[in-house]
Amino acid sequence: MNAPSTLTLSSVRKKFGALTAVDDLDLTIEPGALVSLLGPSGCGKTTTLRMVAGFETPDSGRIEIGGKDVTRQAPNKRGLGMVFQSYSLFPHRTVAENVAFGPRMAGASKQEQTEKMRKMLDMVHLNGREDMYPSQLSGGQQQRVALARALIVSPQVLLLDEPLGALDKSLRESMQFEIREMQQRLEITTLLVTHDQQEAMSMSDQIAVMQGGRILQLGAPHEIYDRPETSFVATFLGASNLFQGRVGADGRTLATAVGNLPLPRAADAGTEAVLSVRPERVVLGAEAGTLPQGLSGRVVTSSFRGSYAAYRVALDGTEMEITAYRQADAALGQGGLAIGDKVPLGWPIEGSVIVTDPATGEE
Amino acid sequence: MSDSVPMNAKLRQAMLLAPALIFLAVFFVMPLFDNSMRSFMSEDGGFTLSRYTSFLTDRFYLGVIVETVVLAAAVTVISVVIAYPVAYVLVRKAGRLSGVFIFLLIAPLLTSIIMRTFGWQVLFARRGLVNQWLVTDLGILDVPLRWLNTPGLAIAALVHVLVPFAVLSIASVLQGVDRRLEEGALMLGASKLRTFFEVTLPLTMDGIGTGAILVFMIANGSFVTLVLLGGGFQTLPLLIYQQFNTTRDFALASTMSTILLAIALVCLWLQLRLVRRQGA
Repeated sequence: MNAPSTLTLSSVRKKFGALTAVDDLDLTIEPGALVSLLGPSGCGKTTTLRMVAGFETPDSGRIEIGGKDVTRQAPNKRGLGMVFQSYSLFPHRTVAENVAFGPRMAGASKQEQTEKMRKMLDMVHLNGREDMYPSQLSGGQQQRVALARALIVSPQVLLLDEPLGALDKSLRESMQFEIREMQQRLEITTLLVTHDQQEAMSMSDQIAVMQGGRILQLGAPHEIYDRPETSFVATFLGASNLFQGRVGADGRTLATAVGNLPLPRAADAGTEAVLSVRPERVVLGAEAGTLPQGLSGRVVTSSFRGSYAAYRVALDGTEMEITAYRQADAALGQGGLAIGDKVPLGWPIEGSVIVTDPATGEE
Repeated sequence: MSDSVPMNAKLRQAMLLAPALIFLAVFFVMPLFDNSMRSFMSEDGGFTLSRYTSFLTDRFYLGVIVETVVLAAAVTVISVVIAYPVAYVLVRKAGRLSGVFIFLLIAPLLTSIIMRTFGWQVLFARRGLVNQWLVTDLGILDVPLRWLNTPGLAIAALVHVLVPFAVLSIASVLQGVDRRLEEGALMLGASKLRTFFEVTLPLTMDGIGTGAILVFMIANGSFVTLVLLGGGFQTLPLLIYQQFNTTRDFALASTMSTILLAIALVCLWLQLRLVRRQGA
């Protein structure tokens, strides 16, 4: 394997007609790290990946791989590996021919091609399927072949374009672990594009949440989850209850439609702010009595989700409903909540975060 | 009766098809059958294969069959070679202009083949437009060239007529080639040219095959172009025409027609196989 390379994008911009797909984007992936571009469709993540791959040329800005400017280099000269959403295996070639394609293009001898191919198929547990055609394999197997085909060329950077999008849920989860394990073992710099927040969180060293061609927030998965900076990030990555209001004179409380809520840190008095509370931080029932919010409500819906139960609770005296999660044993055992139950509720102050609403640009 | 409704539906469908089927039966199948039968009928009304054995062991007639097939094959190869780049541009580069492209391709087919062939005659006659340019207007030549009745011009005219068929067959398959496959090859270090030969071309072989068979079948039976533009070719359709009109040996003409039909049927069978494989 090559020494892991750094991938750097500096002020990269790309327009399609009047639409700015990628807007002044900066991103650095440290050698051997896996960074996800996470966002809804149309946020510019795929365009960014395609510019790194060389299928699109930025209007301005620089892309460097291992310190070398590749902004205008042809895709086949960049030394990358890529796994496509639909795998893009060559349907007219066998598994062996698909995997050995890279070395063959590089002019490797027949023997070297075969050796490398066998090693790769071994790694993805597909030995014995050399002579099968992609259409004879299951989705998961095709995905492994695609991975082997991308990794056989010892790429400087691995690009994963929604690599698990076509798999069913249980397979997707096991493949997430498998790819992550392989990526860490091979220490291969990787850019993952996904719209699946769970995939991004379980696979990445860092997540870049994108919207409108920009990176809204970049950080480790737990940082982004625990300390979202914007309401978009708070709701896109996991669920969130958002409370909009005006900061009180003391700078420590937020006047909202549901009453005065304590803030986790001081804010400028008199400004608009949004408080974000994760559903699993919301406490329902008697234990909430000691919490500072002093809210109460009525259970509107409850749904059992295996390891936890989700409730929607209508807050007394308002139109607002909030979402709360509870561990399943608490939900099923004593103190389980039924629809219509009146409950006190609240959250520990440190379980809430002040976020920006990009719509207003205010805190 | 529970199945009376579907039976009625079937009957109604059959009735809808009936006019077309009857028309085809009376004006296509029956004459064809009658014609073929004549080639198997001996002088005294019995069954005979003698015409086929004598035809297929005669050096002259075998030569005609070979010439027919070779001419059709040459036209096919040239047509496909010309058609592929056109199809490629049509599918990959034309973008919003592809509609205009397709119109330009199909427009010549709206004109009868006789008119188009006459067009070639007008252009390339001894005192036609092309010679006038070359001799009078541009002064490149001192004497007009003889174009008509050269093999080249006949082949060119056949190719002109048949290229659209090849283009459309190839384009429809090329349309279905996932461009990510090509991107995948590029990512693995293949140059654009290499990608074309490793991925694009093999994946469009079905289109080339379908187009080639179509062009071959039509070229094989082509008659008008060769009659009007000559070229010194002695092909089966021309010979059949002679037998019917000049020699008036109907039985021999029927024999040759049946052989020509057999060649076309083999092509049709190949094409069906190809299409069925695509569908699978």
